[in-house]
Amino acid sequence: MSSSRPRLFPVTVVGSWPRPKWLLEALKKKRERSLSQEEFDAIADDAVLLAVKYQEDAGVDILTDGEQRRDNFYSFIADKVYGIELKSVAEIVDLVPDKSRFESILRSLDVPAYSIRNPVVVSKLKVGSRGIARDEASFLKDHTSRLIKVPLPGPYLLTRSSWVPGVTDKYYSSREELGFEYAKILREEIIALRDLGVFFVQLDEPVLSEVVYGVDQSQQTFMCAALFSRRNPREELEFAVELINNTVKGLSGIKTGVHVCRGNWSRREEILLKGDYVPLMPYLAEMKVDQLVLEFATPRAGDVEAIREYIGDKELGYGVVNPRTDDIESPQEIISKVNKVLKFMDAKKIYLNPDCGFGTFAEAPVNTPKTAFKKLRSIRIAAEELRKIYGEK
Amino acid sequence: MVKEIINGINVKELKNLLKEAERNPELVSKISRWTARVRWLGSSFNFKAYVRNHSFVLSEPSELGGPDLGPNAVEYVLSALGACYATGLVLNATKRGIEIRNLEIALEGEIDNILVFLGLSDKGHPGYRRIIVKAYVDADVDEKILKEIWEETVRTSPVGNTLTRHVEVETEIKVIK
Repeated sequence: MSSSRPRLFPVTVVGSWPRPKWLLEALKKKRERSLSQEEFDAIADDAVLLAVKYQEDAGVDILTDGEQRRDNFYSFIADKVYGIELKSVAEIVDLVPDKSRFESILRSLDVPAYSIRNPVVVSKLKVGSRGIARDEASFLKDHTSRLIKVPLPGPYLLTRSSWVPGVTDKYYSSREELGFEYAKILREEIIALRDLGVFFVQLDEPVLSEVVYGVDQSQQTFMCAALFSRRNPREELEFAVELINNTVKGLSGIKTGVHVCRGNWSRREEILLKGDYVPLMPYLAEMKVDQLVLEFATPRAGDVEAIREYIGDKELGYGVVNPRTDDIESPQEIISKVNKVLKFMDAKKIYLNPDCGFGTFAEAPVNTPKTAFKKLRSIRIAAEELRKIYGEK
Repeated sequence: MVKEIINGINVKELKNLLKEAERNPELVSKISRWTARVRWLGSSFNFKAYVRNHSFVLSEPSELGGPDLGPNAVEYVLSALGACYATGLVLNATKRGIEIRNLEIALEGEIDNILVFLGLSDKGHPGYRRIIVKAYVDADVDEKILKEIWEETVRTSPVGNTLTRHVEVETEIKVIK
């Protein structure tokens, strides 16, 4: 559990912040190897400072670095861990067993296979000297006095996306063996982040919603999850619980959370996954983390009542604004949402955040910094009002 | 200095080929006539096409009662159109000295009335009513130029023209025991 706690109704974010154009250019050059790591870092540092400033000004209590150094929330791991290479889907499509499903995904995303890059395990894993996010956390710690949150790709997401039969099985005998290796690596990373003073580590497992809702929906949200055959949803979810629990087992001095959403790559709500948390909650309840970071601003995620029976002692990272819309949710709307949850949850257990990041994929941010800022400010105003009502000034 | 090899194509040889085609009617005749032979494999909806020194299997998916050993004929039509556009785009880009990093063409065809093929209707026709083609390309050149090349490619595509113009198909059947 956490070693310290922020004030009531802490305002936080899920992770990503829209990247400035000049950072996107730098990311592209780094990918093409025409920019060194040091040159890139100098540019990304400035972008992080901008993202931090926006969050601080909006009144965010627990902030991130906006994932500014990352291409997206999970494939950046290829830069940090030896044994993982980013391969374009076009390079591995011949190894994909269900090519027709894969084709329908490409069609729904309206992208070519060459444009999607996926981390693939191509040898034994070894974390590099910068850690998975230690370098990000160190810089952030040096430049804000606020509490820090670091999002990490979860062990199930990583296993699901980077296990490629015919390539990975030369180094790991099974998907399970790879999964437990990821759990070990992530666990060591979380300990290192705690020692750096990180307050909250969030494991991103958005693909869990694909497990329960991706089967019957033609609009696949998570390309990374769809490449290779899946087992039935129950087995997949049990595997995810086991991996998460191996990752966080016995950890202390740092808050841990799991984030599950339904995709955040388009502003067209109708092409993103749809379905409530009901089928997921029995499994999320089994995860030994402090907090569940869930989306509830989008109607696609169903009613927050879904968590009532299962939330138990866990905190809720409550998604109260939709990162993909232009309309700014009013503080009153946010307060009403919180009041609904307060019927069955302790005020101390409720954190307020957007449903997801504002720029999950570097090249496809779902909002502008200006709108993102206004949405966060609205959450902060709601939090201040709620503190007045519930006893904390 | 013009690069010798662009898009894996020897530019000098390509230019020579174009020059030769311009002045040599025999070459033009040779590259204007194409042949194929398709043989039934003796069971179910399975066929093999023989083209020059190549061969490939055609089949039908289970939805059409086949064993799904390969693409079917209408899928080959889409593939042929996509490959023809891709060939044209690579050719036209190379002629202009433009290097292409990636190229992918997605096609989707909608049959006017498949029931005609199955003998269950006589309304409409069993051919494609519409084909949607989307080309994805990645190259270090202005989008405007790529669009120009694409228009040129579509305009000059042999398969594209075959599908969009009236083509005379002469058929005959011979019984050979």
